[in-house]
Amino acid sequence: MSGNGVVWGRVRSRLRAFPENLAACGREAAAYGRCVQASTAPGGHLRKDLCAQEFEALRSCFAAAAKKTLKGGC
Amino acid sequence: MQRVIQLWLLWRRPPTAGVPGKNIGLRRATSGVSPPGSTSPRALNIFDRDLKRKQKNWAARQPETMKFDYLKDEVGSRIADRVYDIARDFPLALNVGCGRGYIAQHLNKETVGKFFQADIAEHALKNTLETEIPTVSVLADEEFLPFRENTFDLVVSSLSLHWVNDLPRALEQIHYVLKPDGVFIGAMFGGDTLYELRCSLQLAETEREGGFSPHVSPFTAVNDLGHLLGRAGFNTLTVDTDEIQVNYPGMFELMEDLQGMGESNCAWNRKALLHRDTMLAAAAVYGEMYRNEDGSVPATYQIYYMIGWKYHDSQARPAQRGSATVSFGELGKVNNLISQEKKSK
Repeated sequence: MSGNGVVWGRVRSRLRAFPENLAACGREAAAYGRCVQASTAPGGHLRKDLCAQEFEALRSCFAAAAKKTLKGGC
Repeated sequence: MQRVIQLWLLWRRPPTAGVPGKNIGLRRATSGVSPPGSTSPRALNIFDRDLKRKQKNWAARQPETMKFDYLKDEVGSRIADRVYDIARDFPLALNVGCGRGYIAQHLNKETVGKFFQADIAEHALKNTLETEIPTVSVLADEEFLPFRENTFDLVVSSLSLHWVNDLPRALEQIHYVLKPDGVFIGAMFGGDTLYELRCSLQLAETEREGGFSPHVSPFTAVNDLGHLLGRAGFNTLTVDTDEIQVNYPGMFELMEDLQGMGESNCAWNRKALLHRDTMLAAAAVYGEMYRNEDGSVPATYQIYYMIGWKYHDSQARPAQRGSATVSFGELGKVNNLISQEKKSK
């Protein structure tokens, strides 16, 4: 297991920034959520990559936010 | 090694699940000593008890354990309420799967004379909460209680039986260690617990990866509870349900809290990896589908409280067939009947 917890600390701090980065992408997250929710309605069929477009938008927004916090934090 | 993976993937562990060969070998190792008493015909091995002990120890060693105590504290106080409702005191009581002892802090010396706290995690037992009742801490598994028959007047169990592999056996053990006319008061998570988390993860995993695997452990249904308690030999059963809804800023905070409570997944069939894409997608779905007006997301904990008694001659029994003195048809005139009886007395 880790000796002095260096890797643990690094990975943990990255994970801790997740909610913050997600909060910065509220619009894209809502769009993705709506798309998935729509597929649960009667007649909808949820399959792989049904909402790939919305997710890509969310992912790029999230990555940009993560880069910002990383630059700002360090 | 395990720690690193655990952190990044929150609930995931190195793969052990799903391979039949490995499972059989492990099952043999864990159930090496055949314990006395009855075993269920199909002894189940759903949860990795060793891992659960490690998780509970880890959670108990965290710097701020009080931060994650809120749920167990609340349920512990509700169980203590039920203990007070019974018009008796209990010289000797046992808490099965006590964690840091959330029930003892709400009880007083007059109601419970001496309290035995049993748990599988030694660090949790070392940091028990303050209580005025004299306690003895015992390191014991819920399925293998190291006590003699007819020892305890009261056995309580708060939110720990949902990690037990062989629940019928555990309840039979509890029945065994109870004195006649002793009572068991337990609280378990019910089927609706964390349904929002379960659904969000399921939808996100289906959309992102094309399939899904279980991430929230299976809970007992309320009908099964009645059967289980009856089968274990308990009398005069009472089961009631309660729902506690806790609001969180988002899904990640919920998962962090669950991990801090020591409630991380330890089922053998858990998936080793939870992709961060899937986590992100699930958080987005959770927020959109279940969000409250103020932006927080709710998580539901459904708790079943059960009370069962061990048989004793003094307990009320159903009347003999054919011993009725009034018929149901006269129910409308019940007031007259009561006043007639009073007059005749």
